[in-house]
Amino acid sequence: MGGCLWRPHGRNIECLYSWRPVARAYIEGPPNKGITLKILLVEDDKQIAEYVAKGLREKGHVVDRADNGRDGLYLATGERYEVMIVDRMLPHMDGLSLVKAARSSGVKTPALFLTTMGGVDDRVAGLEAGADDYLVKPFVFAELLARVSALARRPPIVETTSLRVGDLELDLLSRAVARAGKRIELLAQEFKILEYLMRHAGEIVTRTMLLEKVWDFHFDPKTNIVETHISRLRAKIDKGFDKPLLHTIRGAGYVIRASE
Amino acid sequence: MSSARRSSTLSRILRSASFRLTMVYAALFIASAVVLFGTVYVKATDAMQSDMQAVLRTEAFQLAEIHHRFGLLGLAEQITRRMNFRTRGPIYYLLQAPTQQVVVGNLPGMPPVDGVVDFVRQADSDEPANPRSKLTGFGLTLPDGSFVMVAQDASRLIDMQHAIESSFAFASAVILVLAVAGGMLLGGSFLRRIDTIGRTTRAIMEGDLSARIPVRGTNDEIDQLVVSLNAMLDRIQHLMEGLRQVSNDIAHDLRTPLGRLRQRLEDARDHATTTAEYSSAAEAAIVEADLLLETFSALLRIAQIEAGAQKSAFADVDLSAVARSVGEAYLPSAEDSQHRLELDIADGVALHGDRQLLAQMISNLVENALSHTPAGSTVSLAVAAGPRITVADNGSGIPIEERDRVFDRFYRLDRSRTTSGSGLGLALVKAIAGLHGMAIALEDNQPGLRVILKK
Repeated sequence: MGGCLWRPHGRNIECLYSWRPVARAYIEGPPNKGITLKILLVEDDKQIAEYVAKGLREKGHVVDRADNGRDGLYLATGERYEVMIVDRMLPHMDGLSLVKAARSSGVKTPALFLTTMGGVDDRVAGLEAGADDYLVKPFVFAELLARVSALARRPPIVETTSLRVGDLELDLLSRAVARAGKRIELLAQEFKILEYLMRHAGEIVTRTMLLEKVWDFHFDPKTNIVETHISRLRAKIDKGFDKPLLHTIRGAGYVIRASE
Repeated sequence: MSSARRSSTLSRILRSASFRLTMVYAALFIASAVVLFGTVYVKATDAMQSDMQAVLRTEAFQLAEIHHRFGLLGLAEQITRRMNFRTRGPIYYLLQAPTQQVVVGNLPGMPPVDGVVDFVRQADSDEPANPRSKLTGFGLTLPDGSFVMVAQDASRLIDMQHAIESSFAFASAVILVLAVAGGMLLGGSFLRRIDTIGRTTRAIMEGDLSARIPVRGTNDEIDQLVVSLNAMLDRIQHLMEGLRQVSNDIAHDLRTPLGRLRQRLEDARDHATTTAEYSSAAEAAIVEADLLLETFSALLRIAQIEAGAQKSAFADVDLSAVARSVGEAYLPSAEDSQHRLELDIADGVALHGDRQLLAQMISNLVENALSHTPAGSTVSLAVAAGPRITVADNGSGIPIEERDRVFDRFYRLDRSRTTSGSGLGLALVKAIAGLHGMAIALEDNQPGLRVILKK
């Protein structure tokens, strides 16, 4: 089985670790199209594991499964994965210890924690153990997919000073936004939303991800605050231009991209 | 039955830790009494003996001096005089000629021995009250071969020794009696108190959660333990009641949506024929299930917060920043629903707490105000030093008699039955405020409602 750890590199992606040399041009388009991720799924609930694995495989990913913490750690330290999805409660070794152990043996694979609902402290504990993101069960599959994609292609450490999608430009230093050279005035929160979307250009960003990353809200407000902010942002950046950049993906979230 | 019970109580007292402790103390006291009395005994006997011997020696040498000056007859005369002259208790004399023949004296003849001699005086009509008394004597052989012996009754020494022995015995007996009685008393009262704790615990185990252990008010260790136990029981009862409340709430309020969900699925099974119909039924079921999950999640969250499990994540929070972020998040939605949202947030108001929960609390209050006031209303969010959070609206307010109940789980005003919402938003606000030690006050905003949270 071959594969590779993809990292964005300008408009292309390069293969950082490969066990079969491949080079592939990065096609701007919906996420996961043509990109194979090698994912480790550690989940003891058979039904959830099958549901998640099936969904991920349908999107073209390669999924390895473990149904207990010990096997999960064995795989996580022995194989190379782009993302690992780890349940909080596992037989033999819980998810927290698994991620901690993997991190201490040098595994840097981004980890997504699955926690049960109501476990409000779990988030902090998970992040402290070395997990990169968390998701509360039960979750919508689109949410999981969006987060896995975001984790696998997290922006490289190199800080850029400006972001660009099509003719839309965002300067991180002067905090100025312009489209086709025309200056756009954004409110602070609109700027934060746009910055997050542009950092994940081409990837689906869910409503919950925006709530967490832009507002640091780890709860679900009843009011449609994300939707109203997005519609204001859309009015500012897309209104009056032929090609819309900010798209709503029904049942999943939002994506900013230059072309269909 | 009562004697059997008494004997079992007695055996329990004997086995009790406090009684055993008392016994150890009693043994220690008796041991120290032995050491004390023993030392006194030896020292007093020694002192008395050497005192007696010194007296006898002095007397004997005086007699030798007299013998030297006046000869045997002079000495005999002197001894006779001294024998009739008993000033310092009975002193016995014996003067024997070199032939061992008794010249004068009230002691029987004996082979001459120099120095201190202890002996028992033979029965003698002279002292009928003390027929066989022990004597200590001092013998001296004079230069001409005659022998003089001066002796004194040792009964004073023996009396003293007896006095010390008997007072030791008496003191030991008193110590022992006091120790046993004290131990039983202490052990008994200790056991009674332990019994009370045990009885209360059993009552609680049998389901009477309101039972409490009586406090004596002596503020000793047991009392302190009892106070802690009672506080623990209060906490447990509080948590149990919370849990019971949650179960009741779930039973009451989740049955309806679950029933609805079931009905929909049944309807789809029986009547749906096209894929579109099935998919729309599935869609509706998912929406219904999501609502249920949301309610569950909120209930669990409230229960967790009320259990105080969140305090581990407490840190110093910039309340001003949190409130501003929440307020700004709601500005566009407020505008869309034709509300005016006014923010009046003082800078630098800090609070020790959980940032996420505080954000959720303020968010719930703002959301509540926005969703329960008609279009055109004004909602204001203010944060002031204290800290003090105020969310006010100019809507129709809440009748006084219902103000206490709006924070109950699932409680909804009659007129808001039709609007969406789980009825848990304000219950969560109450739980979070409670966790942060903040008091909630509902006031009339004339018109409208003003919710004030302050520490």
